[in-house]
Amino acid sequence: MRPSAKMLTLGLVGLTVTVVVGFLIAVLLISWFSNPPFGLGNAPPQPIAFPHTVHAGSTADGGMGIQCEFCHRNVTRGDAATVPAVEQCLFCHKTIGGTEDTAKTEIAKVRQSFEENDPINWERVHRLPDHVRFIHEAHIRFFTDPDQPTRTGINGESIGQPLTVAETCSVCHGDVAKMTEVQPKQGQSLKMGTCLDCHRNNNVATDCTVCHK
Amino acid sequence: MVTQRVDHKWGMVVDLDRCTGCQACVVACQSENNLPINTKDLFLQRRAYEWIRIERYWEGEFPDVKARFIPIMCQHCENAPCEPVCPVFATYHNDEGLNVQVYNRCVGTRYCANNCPYQVRFFNYWEPVWPERLRNHLNPDVTVRSRGIMEKCSFCIQRIRRAEVTVERRERSNLDYATMKKRNFLPACVSACPTNALNFADQADASGPVKEYFDDVNEHPHNEAHDRKTRGYRLLEEMGTKPNVIYLKKVDPFPLRKGVGHGS
Repeated sequence: MRPSAKMLTLGLVGLTVTVVVGFLIAVLLISWFSNPPFGLGNAPPQPIAFPHTVHAGSTADGGMGIQCEFCHRNVTRGDAATVPAVEQCLFCHKTIGGTEDTAKTEIAKVRQSFEENDPINWERVHRLPDHVRFIHEAHIRFFTDPDQPTRTGINGESIGQPLTVAETCSVCHGDVAKMTEVQPKQGQSLKMGTCLDCHRNNNVATDCTVCHK
Repeated sequence: MVTQRVDHKWGMVVDLDRCTGCQACVVACQSENNLPINTKDLFLQRRAYEWIRIERYWEGEFPDVKARFIPIMCQHCENAPCEPVCPVFATYHNDEGLNVQVYNRCVGTRYCANNCPYQVRFFNYWEPVWPERLRNHLNPDVTVRSRGIMEKCSFCIQRIRRAEVTVERRERSNLDYATMKKRNFLPACVSACPTNALNFADQADASGPVKEYFDDVNEHPHNEAHDRKTRGYRLLEEMGTKPNVIYLKKVDPFPLRKGVGHGS
């Protein structure tokens, strides 16, 4: 039996509604569980193409093996990791001018910025919401403290030896030393559950006011 | 070494005998906690607010008249009337006896402000604005509350937390009263008070300034027999909210003469 015109219309409307609602649910689910949503928010263009691979990458991989805290000096002393002053780049780049053409042009920009007293406007990649208080110092000190008897990783694995600073950073930021451009996709989703899991694993306070301000 | 924590229970004692009503606490609070600037417009709308306010009232009648001051901030009640009415648990009591407002949970029903007998909860009717030159004066440890959520005094919990982190992680020492005292964990109003009228410490800390008053007031709940040894009392004590703020009565060396003035 052929369906009547009325039934056909109803069926079409129902199909459309199902497709639309299903699409919306899929979008919501993907944006909740993927990080970053739909692969959006890739590395923002930086004023200078700074390769972490060359600076922080291990010497075996052709990098310099500089520790994170050598440039991000405040990371073991305060809340923010901070981006180094241009002056600090010139510690090395006063003499190191680069061998390849691309490196030469980028390093020339750093020197120019220093000579013109014009700070580099780096684009921030990792950012927590304003209502979250995150103190880098406390976390790095906890994981690198040799006197701390137990420490547990973010996935519940037990960590016997104290971590190095770089290992602690990469728990949340991912292995930045292997990134040419720092990607916003972090090692962790950094939703509130991530913070709480790690705090619970390590028996640290989980009162709201510990993190929320 | 694992650091040992002391479970704190914070308390404040306000000595009304010392309060001169200078409003230094109000200004300190305003700048510490990123409160918007109270303009004439806001006052006319009755939407200006201060987390700690000086209430002034007159005693006696002209010409025998005296001004009295009471600084009133969130009383951090143990039986807080604001807490059970919140539908989203944006306000709760934490382990340290503080009544905490979680701003990012708040949906702005304003039930808590309506249920607060001390009128110390404030609603952001407007997006807070500052003049351009004050932009970099905002305290990074305190979030800027947007329009549509409730806010109130937090006993400057950001200062307590910062002191705790410094003691626990940087100095790796035990979190007891003595080590905390070396750090500035006092609320902004307390550190700003020029006459030490405001005192803040752990209620169980014997060397602190508040223990004797809390012990006394807790022992004699409603002072029905007038047997309190100190001048301590709580605001609206008969309501049974059990605030963690204690006021000390003013001792007036020159009381007003009875039967003086127009009213007699």
